[in-house]
Amino acid sequence: MIRRLIAGGKQFLGLHYPGRSLKVFSDDIFLVSYPKSGNTWTRFLIANLVYPEKHPDFTNINELIPDPEGITKRRLERLPRPRYIKSHQYFDPRYPKVIHVVRDPRDVVLSEYYFDIKRRAIPDDFPLEKFASRFVRGELNHPYGTWGENTATWFYTRGNSQRLLLVTYEALQSEGASQVARIAEFIGVPTSSERIAFAIEQSSADRMRELEKKQGHLWSSTRQTRQDKPFVRSAKAGGWKTELPEASIAEIESEWGGLMRELGYELAVANMVHAGSHRG
Amino acid sequence: MGSKAKAGIVKHLVAGLKRGLGLHTPGKSLVILPDDIFLVSFPKSGNTWTRFLLANLRFPDKPATWATIDWMIPDPTGTTKRDFDRMPRPRIIKSHECFDPRYPRVIYIVRDPRDVVVSQYHYHRKIRKIEDDSPLEKFVTRFLLGDTCPHGSWGQNVATWLYTCEGSSRFLRLRYEDLIADTPRELAKVVSFLQLPAKPEQIVQAVERSSADRMRKLEKEQQHGLYKGSRADMSFVRAAGSGGWRKDLPTDQVARLEAAWGPLMHHLGYELATLPPSEIGEYAPLGTAITAPR
Repeated sequence: MIRRLIAGGKQFLGLHYPGRSLKVFSDDIFLVSYPKSGNTWTRFLIANLVYPEKHPDFTNINELIPDPEGITKRRLERLPRPRYIKSHQYFDPRYPKVIHVVRDPRDVVLSEYYFDIKRRAIPDDFPLEKFASRFVRGELNHPYGTWGENTATWFYTRGNSQRLLLVTYEALQSEGASQVARIAEFIGVPTSSERIAFAIEQSSADRMRELEKKQGHLWSSTRQTRQDKPFVRSAKAGGWKTELPEASIAEIESEWGGLMRELGYELAVANMVHAGSHRG
Repeated sequence: MGSKAKAGIVKHLVAGLKRGLGLHTPGKSLVILPDDIFLVSFPKSGNTWTRFLLANLRFPDKPATWATIDWMIPDPTGTTKRDFDRMPRPRIIKSHECFDPRYPRVIYIVRDPRDVVVSQYHYHRKIRKIEDDSPLEKFVTRFLLGDTCPHGSWGQNVATWLYTCEGSSRFLRLRYEDLIADTPRELAKVVSFLQLPAKPEQIVQAVERSSADRMRKLEKEQQHGLYKGSRADMSFVRAAGSGGWRKDLPTDQVARLEAAWGPLMHHLGYELATLPPSEIGEYAPLGTAITAPR
Protein backbone atom coordinates (compact mmCIF):
# COMPACT_ATOMS: atom_id res chain seq x y z
CA MET A 1 0.00 0.00 0.00
CA ILE A 2 2.76 2.43 1.02
CA ARG A 3 4.79 1.46 -2.01
CA ARG A 4 1.76 2.10 -4.16
CA LEU A 5 1.21 5.51 -2.59
CA ILE A 6 4.84 6.45 -3.16
CA ALA A 7 4.52 5.33 -6.78
CA GLY A 8 1.30 7.34 -7.04
CA GLY A 9 3.05 10.40 -5.58
CA LYS A 10 5.98 10.07 -7.98
CA GLN A 11 3.57 9.69 -10.85
CA PHE A 12 1.74 12.79 -9.65
CA LEU A 13 4.95 14.81 -9.65
CA GLY A 14 6.12 13.38 -12.95
CA LEU A 15 9.24 11.86 -11.37
CA HIS A 16 8.76 8.36 -12.76
CA TYR A 17 10.33 7.02 -15.95
CA PRO A 18 7.54 6.93 -18.53
CA GLY A 19 8.97 4.04 -20.60
CA ARG A 20 6.51 2.70 -23.15
CA SER A 21 3.71 4.90 -21.83
CA LEU A 22 5.52 8.13 -22.73
CA LYS A 23 3.49 10.94 -24.21
CA VAL A 24 4.39 11.26 -27.89
CA PHE A 25 4.42 14.68 -29.58
CA SER A 26 3.63 14.99 -33.27
CA ASP A 27 7.11 16.35 -34.10
CA ASP A 28 9.06 13.69 -32.17
CA ILE A 29 11.76 11.76 -33.99
CA PHE A 30 12.59 8.29 -32.71
CA LEU A 31 15.87 6.49 -33.03
CA VAL A 32 14.81 2.86 -32.81
CA SER A 33 16.88 -0.30 -32.73
CA TYR A 34 17.13 -3.64 -31.03
CA PRO A 35 19.69 -3.47 -28.17
CA LYS A 36 23.36 -3.80 -29.20
CA SER A 37 22.72 -2.72 -32.77
CA GLY A 38 24.59 0.55 -32.87
CA ASN A 39 22.01 2.66 -31.09
CA THR A 40 24.55 4.53 -28.92
CA TRP A 41 26.81 5.18 -31.88
CA THR A 42 23.90 6.53 -33.94
CA ARG A 43 22.86 8.58 -30.92
CA PHE A 44 26.29 10.23 -30.92
CA LEU A 45 26.17 10.74 -34.69
CA ILE A 46 22.81 12.48 -34.52
CA ALA A 47 23.70 14.49 -31.42
CA ASN A 48 26.89 15.72 -33.11
CA LEU A 49 24.91 16.56 -36.22
CA VAL A 50 22.11 18.43 -34.45
CA TYR A 51 23.86 19.88 -31.39
CA PRO A 52 27.57 20.27 -32.28
CA GLU A 53 27.81 23.27 -29.93
CA LYS A 54 26.87 21.07 -26.94
CA HIS A 55 29.91 18.79 -27.38
CA PRO A 56 27.98 15.54 -26.93
CA ASP A 57 29.60 12.98 -24.66
CA PHE A 58 28.53 10.35 -22.11
CA THR A 59 27.67 13.03 -19.54
CA ASN A 60 25.03 14.77 -21.63
CA ILE A 61 23.87 12.24 -24.24
CA ASN A 62 20.91 11.23 -22.03
CA GLU A 63 19.72 14.85 -22.16
CA LEU A 64 20.36 15.39 -25.86
CA ILE A 65 18.86 12.15 -27.12
CA PRO A 66 16.91 10.90 -24.11
CA ASP A 67 15.77 7.37 -23.32
CA PRO A 68 12.20 7.32 -21.90
CA GLU A 69 13.32 4.45 -19.69
CA GLY A 70 16.08 6.54 -18.16
CA ILE A 71 14.70 10.07 -17.86
CA THR A 72 11.78 11.34 -15.80
CA LYS A 73 8.46 12.17 -17.39
CA ARG A 74 8.76 15.76 -16.25
CA ARG A 75 12.17 16.35 -17.83
CA LEU A 76 11.16 14.53 -20.99
CA GLU A 77 8.16 16.81 -21.45
CA ARG A 78 10.24 19.96 -20.96
CA LEU A 79 12.93 19.20 -23.54
CA PRO A 80 13.34 21.52 -26.53
CA ARG A 81 11.33 20.49 -29.57
CA PRO A 82 11.59 18.64 -31.79
CA ARG A 83 12.80 15.90 -29.46
CA TYR A 84 15.09 13.13 -30.65
CA ILE A 85 14.27 10.07 -28.58
CA LYS A 86 16.14 6.80 -28.22
CA SER A 87 14.09 3.60 -28.13
CA HIS A 88 14.53 -0.19 -28.18
CA GLN A 89 10.78 -0.75 -28.39
CA TYR A 90 9.02 -3.01 -30.86
CA PHE A 91 6.53 -1.35 -33.21
CA ASP A 92 4.61 1.54 -31.69
CA PRO A 93 2.07 3.11 -34.06
CA ARG A 94 2.30 6.44 -32.24
CA TYR A 95 5.90 7.17 -33.23
CA PRO A 96 5.53 9.87 -35.92
CA LYS A 97 9.01 9.58 -37.46
CA VAL A 98 11.39 6.66 -37.04
CA ILE A 99 15.03 6.04 -37.86
CA HIS A 100 15.30 2.26 -37.65
CA VAL A 101 18.83 0.98 -37.20
CA VAL A 102 19.23 -2.73 -37.95
CA ARG A 103 22.30 -4.89 -37.39
CA ASP A 104 23.14 -8.43 -38.45
CA PRO A 105 21.78 -10.63 -35.62
CA ARG A 106 24.91 -12.79 -35.76
CA ASP A 107 26.87 -9.74 -34.61
CA VAL A 108 24.15 -8.56 -32.26
CA VAL A 109 24.36 -11.81 -30.30
CA LEU A 110 28.12 -11.40 -29.85
CA SER A 111 27.76 -7.82 -28.70
CA GLU A 112 24.99 -8.75 -26.28
CA TYR A 113 27.13 -11.60 -24.96
CA TYR A 114 30.05 -9.33 -24.08
CA PHE A 115 27.74 -6.66 -22.70
CA ASP A 116 26.04 -9.21 -20.43
CA ILE A 117 29.47 -10.20 -19.10
CA LYS A 118 30.24 -6.53 -18.51
CA ARG A 119 27.04 -6.00 -16.58
CA ARG A 120 27.50 -9.25 -14.64
CA ALA A 121 24.37 -10.91 -16.07
CA ILE A 122 26.53 -13.92 -16.99
CA PRO A 123 30.00 -15.05 -15.84
CA ASP A 124 33.14 -14.63 -17.95
CA ASP A 125 33.19 -18.26 -19.00
CA PHE A 126 29.52 -18.64 -19.93
CA PRO A 127 29.33 -20.79 -23.10
CA LEU A 128 28.63 -18.62 -26.13
CA GLU A 129 26.64 -21.38 -27.83
CA LYS A 130 24.28 -21.60 -24.89
CA PHE A 131 23.94 -17.84 -24.87
CA ALA A 132 23.07 -17.83 -28.57
CA SER A 133 20.25 -20.31 -27.94
CA ARG A 134 18.87 -18.04 -25.26
CA PHE A 135 19.15 -15.12 -27.65
CA VAL A 136 17.15 -16.97 -30.29
CA ARG A 137 14.47 -17.96 -27.78
CA GLY A 138 14.21 -14.44 -26.40
CA GLU A 139 15.33 -15.47 -22.91
CA LEU A 140 17.34 -12.33 -22.20
CA ASN A 141 16.88 -9.91 -19.38
CA HIS A 142 15.25 -7.17 -21.41
CA PRO A 143 11.62 -6.71 -22.46
CA TYR A 144 12.08 -5.99 -26.17
CA GLY A 145 11.24 -9.38 -27.68
CA THR A 146 13.60 -11.43 -29.83
CA TRP A 147 15.70 -9.84 -32.53
CA GLY A 148 13.36 -11.32 -35.15
CA GLU A 149 10.19 -10.17 -33.43
CA ASN A 150 11.43 -6.67 -32.76
CA THR A 151 12.88 -6.18 -36.23
CA ALA A 152 9.88 -7.72 -38.04
CA THR A 153 7.38 -5.43 -36.33
CA TRP A 154 9.17 -2.40 -37.79
CA PHE A 155 10.27 -3.90 -41.09
CA TYR A 156 6.94 -5.38 -42.16
CA THR A 157 4.85 -2.37 -41.16
CA ARG A 158 6.86 0.24 -43.05
CA GLY A 159 4.85 -0.06 -46.29
CA ASN A 160 5.80 2.80 -48.55
CA SER A 161 5.72 5.13 -45.60
CA GLN A 162 7.82 8.27 -45.58
CA ARG A 163 7.78 8.07 -41.80
CA LEU A 164 10.42 5.36 -41.46
CA LEU A 165 14.06 5.38 -42.54
CA LEU A 166 15.86 2.05 -42.49
CA VAL A 167 19.60 2.25 -41.83
CA THR A 168 21.84 -0.75 -41.36
CA TYR A 169 24.75 -0.75 -38.94
CA GLU A 170 26.87 -2.30 -41.67
CA ALA A 171 26.17 0.53 -44.11
CA LEU A 172 26.94 3.07 -41.40
CA GLN A 173 30.32 1.35 -41.04
CA SER A 174 31.18 1.04 -44.71
CA GLU A 175 29.73 4.28 -46.06
CA GLY A 176 29.17 6.54 -43.09
CA ALA A 177 29.05 9.85 -44.95
CA SER A 178 26.23 8.90 -47.31
CA GLN A 179 24.23 7.22 -44.54
CA VAL A 180 24.55 10.20 -42.22
CA ALA A 181 23.47 12.39 -45.14
CA ARG A 182 20.35 10.22 -45.55
CA ILE A 183 19.61 10.63 -41.84
CA ALA A 184 20.14 14.40 -42.00
CA GLU A 185 17.81 14.70 -44.95
CA PHE A 186 15.20 12.51 -43.25
CA ILE A 187 15.12 14.57 -40.08
CA GLY A 188 15.36 17.83 -41.98
CA VAL A 189 18.61 19.15 -40.53
CA PRO A 190 20.48 21.56 -42.80
CA THR A 191 23.86 20.08 -43.45
CA SER A 192 27.11 20.19 -45.35
CA SER A 193 29.82 17.63 -46.03
CA GLU A 194 32.01 19.32 -43.40
CA ARG A 195 29.30 19.04 -40.79
CA ILE A 196 28.77 15.38 -41.61
CA ALA A 197 32.50 14.66 -41.51
CA PHE A 198 32.69 16.42 -38.15
CA ALA A 199 29.82 14.33 -36.71
CA ILE A 200 31.44 11.10 -37.92
CA GLU A 201 34.80 12.05 -36.48
CA GLN A 202 33.33 13.09 -33.13
CA SER A 203 31.52 9.74 -32.97
CA SER A 204 34.40 7.52 -34.06
CA ALA A 205 35.05 4.35 -32.08
CA ASP A 206 38.42 5.72 -30.95
CA ARG A 207 36.96 8.94 -29.65
CA MET A 208 34.05 7.13 -27.96
CA ARG A 209 36.53 4.73 -26.31
CA GLU A 210 38.47 7.70 -25.00
CA LEU A 211 35.33 9.35 -23.65
CA GLU A 212 34.26 6.06 -22.08
CA LYS A 213 37.56 5.82 -20.21
CA LYS A 214 36.98 9.21 -18.66
CA GLN A 215 33.22 9.09 -18.21
CA GLY A 216 32.17 5.43 -18.20
CA HIS A 217 31.68 5.49 -14.45
CA LEU A 218 29.24 8.41 -14.81
CA TRP A 219 26.96 7.19 -17.60
CA SER A 220 23.73 5.44 -16.54
CA SER A 221 24.19 2.51 -18.93
CA THR A 222 27.70 1.66 -17.70
CA ARG A 223 27.83 3.11 -14.18
CA GLN A 224 27.19 -0.09 -12.28
CA THR A 225 28.91 -2.44 -14.70
CA ARG A 226 32.41 -3.93 -14.67
CA GLN A 227 34.95 -1.23 -15.42
CA ASP A 228 37.51 -3.77 -16.67
CA LYS A 229 35.32 -4.47 -19.70
CA PRO A 230 34.67 -1.80 -22.34
CA PHE A 231 31.22 -0.70 -23.54
CA VAL A 232 32.62 0.43 -26.88
CA ARG A 233 34.03 -2.92 -27.96
CA SER A 234 35.13 -3.94 -31.47
CA ALA A 235 32.74 -1.51 -33.25
CA LYS A 236 33.03 -3.62 -36.38
CA ALA A 237 30.80 -5.65 -38.65
CA GLY A 238 31.27 -9.35 -39.34
CA GLY A 239 32.93 -10.46 -36.09
CA TRP A 240 30.59 -13.45 -36.09
CA LYS A 241 32.47 -14.98 -39.01
CA THR A 242 35.41 -15.80 -36.77
CA GLU A 243 33.87 -15.83 -33.30
CA LEU A 244 30.42 -17.39 -33.49
CA PRO A 245 30.17 -21.22 -33.35
CA GLU A 246 28.75 -22.72 -36.52
CA ALA A 247 25.87 -24.29 -34.62
CA SER A 248 24.86 -20.85 -33.40
CA ILE A 249 25.05 -19.39 -36.89
CA ALA A 250 22.81 -22.20 -38.10
CA GLU A 251 20.39 -21.69 -35.23
CA ILE A 252 20.04 -17.97 -35.92
CA GLU A 253 19.73 -18.41 -39.67
CA SER A 254 17.12 -21.13 -39.43
CA GLU A 255 15.03 -18.97 -37.13
CA TRP A 256 15.25 -15.67 -38.99
CA GLY A 257 16.77 -16.48 -42.39
CA GLY A 258 13.84 -15.08 -44.38
CA LEU A 259 13.93 -11.73 -42.67
CA MET A 260 17.76 -11.61 -42.74
CA ARG A 261 17.81 -12.16 -46.48
CA GLU A 262 15.25 -9.40 -47.03
CA LEU A 263 17.51 -7.08 -45.08
CA GLY A 264 20.41 -8.01 -47.33
CA TYR A 265 22.33 -10.30 -44.97
CA GLU A 266 23.78 -13.23 -46.84
CA LEU A 267 23.22 -16.55 -45.14
CA ALA A 268 26.29 -18.63 -44.37
CA VAL A 269 24.83 -22.07 -43.81
CA ALA A 270 24.11 -23.68 -47.17
CA ASN A 271 20.88 -25.37 -48.20
CA MET A 272 18.74 -23.60 -45.71
CA VAL A 273 15.55 -25.50 -45.12
CA HIS A 274 13.72 -22.87 -43.14
CA ALA A 275 14.91 -19.80 -44.97
CA GLY A 276 11.37 -18.91 -45.93
CA SER A 277 10.17 -18.34 -42.40
CA HIS A 278 11.79 -16.85 -39.38
CA ARG A 279 9.93 -18.83 -36.78
CA GLY A 280 10.51 -22.52 -36.25
CA MET B 1 -3.96 31.37 -10.54
CA GLY B 2 -6.42 31.10 -13.44
CA SER B 3 -9.44 28.86 -13.13
CA LYS B 4 -8.11 26.74 -15.96
CA ALA B 5 -4.87 26.08 -14.08
CA LYS B 6 -6.84 25.28 -10.92
CA ALA B 7 -9.04 22.85 -12.79
CA GLY B 8 -5.89 21.26 -14.17
CA ILE B 9 -4.42 20.76 -10.71
CA VAL B 10 -7.69 19.32 -9.36
CA LYS B 11 -7.81 16.89 -12.27
CA HIS B 12 -4.20 15.92 -11.60
CA LEU B 13 -4.89 15.43 -7.88
CA VAL B 14 -7.94 13.27 -8.53
CA ALA B 15 -5.91 11.16 -10.96
CA GLY B 16 -3.15 10.75 -8.35
CA LEU B 17 -5.64 9.73 -5.68
CA LYS B 18 -7.38 7.28 -8.02
CA ARG B 19 -4.01 5.74 -8.80
CA GLY B 20 -3.24 5.38 -5.09
CA LEU B 21 -6.49 3.47 -4.63
CA GLY B 22 -6.16 1.39 -7.80
CA LEU B 23 -9.25 2.94 -9.37
CA HIS B 24 -7.50 4.00 -12.56
CA THR B 25 -7.48 1.92 -15.73
CA PRO B 26 -3.99 0.43 -16.12
CA GLY B 27 -3.72 0.87 -19.90
CA LYS B 28 -0.19 0.24 -21.16
CA SER B 29 1.17 -0.21 -17.64
CA LEU B 30 -0.95 -3.31 -16.98
CA VAL B 31 1.05 -5.89 -15.04
CA ILE B 32 0.90 -9.07 -17.10
CA LEU B 33 0.73 -12.44 -15.33
CA PRO B 34 2.33 -15.57 -16.80
CA ASP B 35 -1.02 -17.33 -17.26
CA ASP B 36 -2.81 -14.39 -18.90
CA ILE B 37 -4.61 -14.94 -22.18
CA PHE B 38 -5.08 -12.05 -24.57
CA LEU B 39 -7.93 -11.71 -27.02
CA VAL B 40 -6.47 -9.37 -29.62
CA SER B 41 -7.78 -7.82 -32.79
CA PHE B 42 -7.80 -4.64 -34.80
CA PRO B 43 -10.93 -2.65 -33.84
CA LYS B 44 -14.22 -3.62 -35.51
CA SER B 45 -13.07 -7.15 -36.25
CA GLY B 46 -15.49 -9.08 -34.07
CA ASN B 47 -13.65 -8.51 -30.80
CA THR B 48 -16.79 -7.75 -28.79
CA TRP B 49 -18.67 -10.75 -30.14
CA THR B 50 -15.71 -13.04 -29.39
CA ARG B 51 -15.50 -11.45 -25.97
CA PHE B 52 -19.10 -12.48 -25.31
CA LEU B 53 -18.41 -15.98 -26.65
CA LEU B 54 -15.37 -16.42 -24.42
CA ALA B 55 -17.08 -14.87 -21.39
CA ASN B 56 -19.99 -17.28 -21.77
CA LEU B 57 -17.59 -20.17 -22.18
CA ARG B 58 -15.38 -19.19 -19.26
CA PHE B 59 -18.26 -18.37 -16.87
CA PRO B 60 -21.09 -20.76 -17.83
CA ASP B 61 -23.07 -19.92 -14.67
CA LYS B 62 -23.41 -16.25 -15.53
CA PRO B 63 -24.68 -15.14 -18.95
CA ALA B 64 -22.56 -12.23 -20.19
CA THR B 65 -24.22 -8.83 -20.60
CA TRP B 66 -22.97 -5.37 -21.57
CA ALA B 67 -22.93 -4.52 -17.87
CA THR B 68 -20.70 -7.45 -16.86
CA ILE B 69 -18.44 -7.93 -19.90
CA ASP B 70 -15.80 -5.45 -18.70
CA TRP B 71 -15.38 -7.56 -15.63
CA MET B 72 -15.54 -10.98 -17.29
CA ILE B 73 -13.13 -10.26 -20.16
CA PRO B 74 -11.44 -7.09 -18.91
CA ASP B 75 -10.12 -4.29 -21.07
CA PRO B 76 -6.96 -2.49 -19.83
CA THR B 77 -8.46 0.80 -21.01
CA GLY B 78 -11.91 0.21 -19.51
CA THR B 79 -11.49 -1.92 -16.39
CA THR B 80 -9.92 -0.59 -13.17
CA LYS B 81 -6.62 -1.86 -11.84
CA ARG B 82 -8.33 -3.02 -8.68
CA ASP B 83 -10.75 -5.20 -10.64
CA PHE B 84 -7.82 -6.57 -12.64
CA ASP B 85 -6.06 -7.57 -9.43
CA ARG B 86 -9.13 -9.33 -8.03
CA MET B 87 -10.04 -11.31 -11.10
CA PRO B 88 -10.12 -15.13 -11.13
CA ARG B 89 -7.19 -16.59 -13.03
CA PRO B 90 -6.35 -17.26 -15.73
CA ARG B 91 -7.61 -13.92 -16.95
CA ILE B 92 -8.77 -13.46 -20.54
CA ILE B 93 -7.95 -9.88 -21.49
CA LYS B 94 -9.24 -7.85 -24.41
CA SER B 95 -6.73 -5.84 -26.46
CA HIS B 96 -6.44 -3.97 -29.74
CA GLU B 97 -2.69 -3.46 -29.40
CA CYS B 98 -0.09 -4.30 -31.99
CA PHE B 99 2.43 -7.08 -31.19
CA ASP B 100 3.54 -7.19 -27.57
CA PRO B 101 6.15 -9.82 -26.64
CA ARG B 102 4.93 -9.87 -23.04
CA TYR B 103 1.55 -11.41 -23.90
CA PRO B 104 1.96 -15.07 -22.85
CA ARG B 105 -0.88 -16.51 -24.97
CA VAL B 106 -2.77 -14.79 -27.76
CA ILE B 107 -6.02 -15.41 -29.64
CA TYR B 108 -5.88 -13.09 -32.63
CA ILE B 109 -9.08 -12.35 -34.54
CA VAL B 110 -8.63 -11.09 -38.07
CA ARG B 111 -11.38 -9.79 -40.36
CA ASP B 112 -11.50 -8.85 -44.03
CA PRO B 113 -10.35 -5.19 -44.09
CA ARG B 114 -12.98 -4.40 -46.72
CA ASP B 115 -15.63 -5.18 -44.09
CA VAL B 116 -13.63 -3.62 -41.26
CA VAL B 117 -13.50 -0.24 -42.97
CA VAL B 118 -17.26 -0.19 -43.55
CA SER B 119 -17.92 -1.24 -39.96
CA GLN B 120 -15.57 1.39 -38.55
CA TYR B 121 -17.06 4.08 -40.78
CA HIS B 122 -20.55 3.44 -39.40
CA TYR B 123 -19.22 3.13 -35.86
CA HIS B 124 -17.52 6.53 -36.12
CA ARG B 125 -20.80 8.02 -37.32
CA LYS B 126 -22.55 6.42 -34.35
CA ILE B 127 -20.12 7.81 -31.78
CA ARG B 128 -20.11 11.19 -33.56
CA LYS B 129 -16.42 11.05 -34.42
CA ILE B 130 -17.25 11.95 -38.02
CA GLU B 131 -20.18 13.82 -39.58
CA ASP B 132 -23.11 11.72 -40.63
CA ASP B 133 -22.60 12.61 -44.29
CA SER B 134 -18.80 12.42 -44.25
CA PRO B 135 -17.70 10.73 -47.49
CA LEU B 136 -16.65 7.07 -47.21
CA GLU B 137 -13.79 7.74 -49.63
CA LYS B 138 -12.23 10.21 -47.21
CA PHE B 139 -12.54 7.66 -44.43
CA VAL B 140 -10.79 5.01 -46.55
CA THR B 141 -7.86 7.39 -47.01
CA ARG B 142 -7.49 7.80 -43.27
CA PHE B 143 -8.04 4.07 -42.73
CA LEU B 144 -5.13 3.24 -45.05
CA LEU B 145 -2.88 5.66 -43.17
CA GLY B 146 -3.84 4.22 -39.80
CA ASP B 147 -5.38 7.52 -38.71
CA THR B 148 -8.78 6.19 -37.66
CA CYS B 149 -7.64 4.64 -34.36
CA PRO B 150 -4.53 4.53 -32.15
CA HIS B 151 -3.62 0.92 -33.01
CA GLY B 152 -1.84 1.34 -36.33
CA SER B 153 -3.39 0.64 -39.71
CA TRP B 154 -5.17 -2.66 -40.32
CA GLY B 155 -2.15 -3.89 -42.27
CA GLN B 156 0.30 -2.85 -39.57
CA ASN B 157 -1.68 -4.36 -36.71
CA VAL B 158 -2.14 -7.69 -38.54
CA ALA B 159 1.46 -7.77 -39.79
CA THR B 160 3.02 -7.23 -36.36
CA TRP B 161 1.21 -10.32 -35.11
CA LEU B 162 1.40 -12.64 -38.10
CA TYR B 163 5.08 -12.08 -38.86
CA THR B 164 6.12 -12.63 -35.26
CA CYS B 165 3.75 -15.31 -34.01
CA GLU B 166 2.33 -17.44 -36.81
CA GLY B 167 3.31 -21.02 -36.21
CA SER B 168 3.85 -20.55 -32.49
CA SER B 169 1.99 -22.82 -30.07
CA ARG B 170 1.17 -19.77 -27.96
CA PHE B 171 -0.75 -18.14 -30.80
CA LEU B 172 -4.16 -18.95 -32.24
CA ARG B 173 -5.34 -17.05 -35.28
CA LEU B 174 -9.05 -17.03 -36.07
CA ARG B 175 -10.86 -15.40 -38.94
CA TYR B 176 -14.06 -13.55 -38.16
CA GLU B 177 -15.54 -15.03 -41.34
CA ASP B 178 -14.92 -18.58 -40.10
CA LEU B 179 -16.42 -17.72 -36.74
CA ILE B 180 -19.57 -16.56 -38.54
CA ALA B 181 -19.68 -19.58 -40.83
CA ASP B 182 -19.27 -22.23 -38.14
CA THR B 183 -19.14 -20.79 -34.66
CA PRO B 184 -19.05 -24.09 -32.69
CA ARG B 185 -16.18 -25.43 -34.80
CA GLU B 186 -14.06 -22.30 -34.29
CA LEU B 187 -14.94 -22.14 -30.61
CA ALA B 188 -13.80 -25.74 -30.23
CA LYS B 189 -10.37 -24.53 -31.44
CA VAL B 190 -10.36 -21.98 -28.66
CA VAL B 191 -11.35 -24.60 -26.09
CA SER B 192 -8.48 -26.83 -27.14
CA PHE B 193 -6.01 -23.93 -27.35
CA LEU B 194 -6.87 -22.81 -23.82
CA GLN B 195 -7.41 -26.34 -22.55
CA LEU B 196 -10.73 -25.32 -21.06
CA PRO B 197 -12.84 -28.06 -19.48
CA ALA B 198 -15.82 -27.15 -21.70
CA LYS B 199 -18.16 -29.85 -23.00
CA PRO B 200 -19.85 -29.63 -26.43
CA GLU B 201 -23.16 -28.56 -24.85
CA GLN B 202 -21.39 -25.68 -23.13
CA ILE B 203 -20.08 -24.53 -26.49
CA VAL B 204 -23.63 -24.60 -27.86
CA GLN B 205 -24.81 -22.61 -24.85
CA ALA B 206 -22.05 -20.01 -25.28
CA VAL B 207 -22.97 -19.60 -28.96
CA GLU B 208 -26.64 -19.10 -28.11
CA ARG B 209 -25.91 -16.64 -25.36
CA SER B 210 -23.73 -14.57 -27.72
CA SER B 211 -26.00 -14.53 -30.77
CA ALA B 212 -26.36 -11.25 -32.65
CA ASP B 213 -30.07 -11.22 -31.78
CA ARG B 214 -29.42 -11.58 -28.06
CA MET B 215 -26.62 -8.99 -28.15
CA ARG B 216 -28.91 -6.54 -29.99
CA LYS B 217 -31.69 -7.13 -27.45
CA LEU B 218 -29.28 -6.62 -24.53
CA GLU B 219 -27.89 -3.51 -26.18
CA LYS B 220 -31.38 -1.97 -26.31
CA GLU B 221 -32.04 -2.78 -22.66
CA GLN B 222 -28.64 -1.60 -21.48
CA GLN B 223 -28.15 1.53 -23.57
CA HIS B 224 -26.42 3.29 -20.73
CA GLY B 225 -23.98 0.52 -20.00
CA LEU B 226 -21.12 0.95 -22.39
CA TYR B 227 -21.18 3.60 -25.05
CA LYS B 228 -22.03 6.85 -23.33
CA GLY B 229 -22.88 9.77 -25.55
CA SER B 230 -23.17 7.75 -28.73
CA ARG B 231 -26.20 7.85 -30.98
CA ALA B 232 -29.01 5.67 -29.69
CA ASP B 233 -30.62 5.51 -33.12
CA MET B 234 -27.71 3.47 -34.50
CA SER B 235 -26.85 0.15 -32.91
CA PHE B 236 -23.39 -1.10 -32.00
CA VAL B 237 -24.26 -4.61 -33.14
CA ARG B 238 -24.77 -3.83 -36.81
CA ALA B 239 -24.84 -6.29 -39.70
CA ALA B 240 -22.92 -9.03 -37.83
CA GLY B 241 -22.13 -10.69 -41.13
CA SER B 242 -19.35 -10.99 -43.65
CA GLY B 243 -18.98 -9.79 -47.21
CA GLY B 244 -21.12 -6.66 -46.80
CA TRP B 245 -18.38 -4.72 -48.59
CA ARG B 246 -19.53 -6.20 -51.90
CA LYS B 247 -22.52 -3.87 -51.88
CA ASP B 248 -21.38 -1.15 -49.45
CA LEU B 249 -17.89 -0.41 -50.71
CA PRO B 250 -17.43 1.12 -54.21
CA THR B 251 -15.02 -0.79 -56.45
CA ASP B 252 -12.47 2.03 -56.58
CA GLN B 253 -12.22 1.93 -52.78
CA VAL B 254 -11.91 -1.85 -52.79
CA ALA B 255 -9.03 -1.42 -55.23
CA ARG B 256 -7.21 0.96 -52.89
CA LEU B 257 -7.35 -1.49 -49.99
CA GLU B 258 -6.25 -4.38 -52.17
CA ALA B 259 -3.38 -2.40 -53.63
CA ALA B 260 -2.09 -1.61 -50.14
CA TRP B 261 -2.55 -4.98 -48.47
CA GLY B 262 -3.07 -7.48 -51.29
CA PRO B 263 -0.35 -9.96 -50.31
CA LEU B 264 -1.45 -10.01 -46.67
CA MET B 265 -5.13 -10.40 -47.60
CA HIS B 266 -4.32 -13.17 -50.05
CA HIS B 267 -2.26 -14.92 -47.40
CA LEU B 268 -5.28 -14.81 -45.08
CA GLY B 269 -7.51 -16.35 -47.75
CA TYR B 270 -9.45 -13.24 -48.71
CA GLU B 271 -10.11 -13.43 -52.43
CA LEU B 272 -9.16 -10.20 -54.15
CA ALA B 273 -11.73 -8.59 -56.43
CA THR B 274 -9.60 -6.06 -58.28
CA LEU B 275 -6.27 -7.87 -58.68
CA PRO B 276 -5.66 -11.05 -60.66
CA PRO B 277 -3.63 -13.65 -58.70
CA SER B 278 -0.59 -13.08 -60.93
CA GLU B 279 -0.40 -9.45 -59.82
CA ILE B 280 -0.78 -9.90 -56.07
CA GLY B 281 2.88 -10.15 -55.28
CA GLU B 282 4.58 -12.24 -52.65
CA TYR B 283 3.29 -12.25 -49.11
CA ALA B 284 6.76 -11.78 -47.67
CA PRO B 285 7.50 -8.10 -48.34
CA LEU B 286 4.43 -6.34 -47.06
CA GLY B 287 3.72 -3.23 -49.04
CA THR B 288 6.24 -1.48 -51.23
CA ALA B 289 9.81 -1.35 -50.06
CA ILE B 290 11.22 2.04 -49.25
CA THR B 291 14.65 3.08 -50.44
CA ALA B 292 16.87 0.05 -50.09
CA PRO B 293 19.28 0.35 -47.19
CA ARG B 294 22.32 -0.21 -49.33
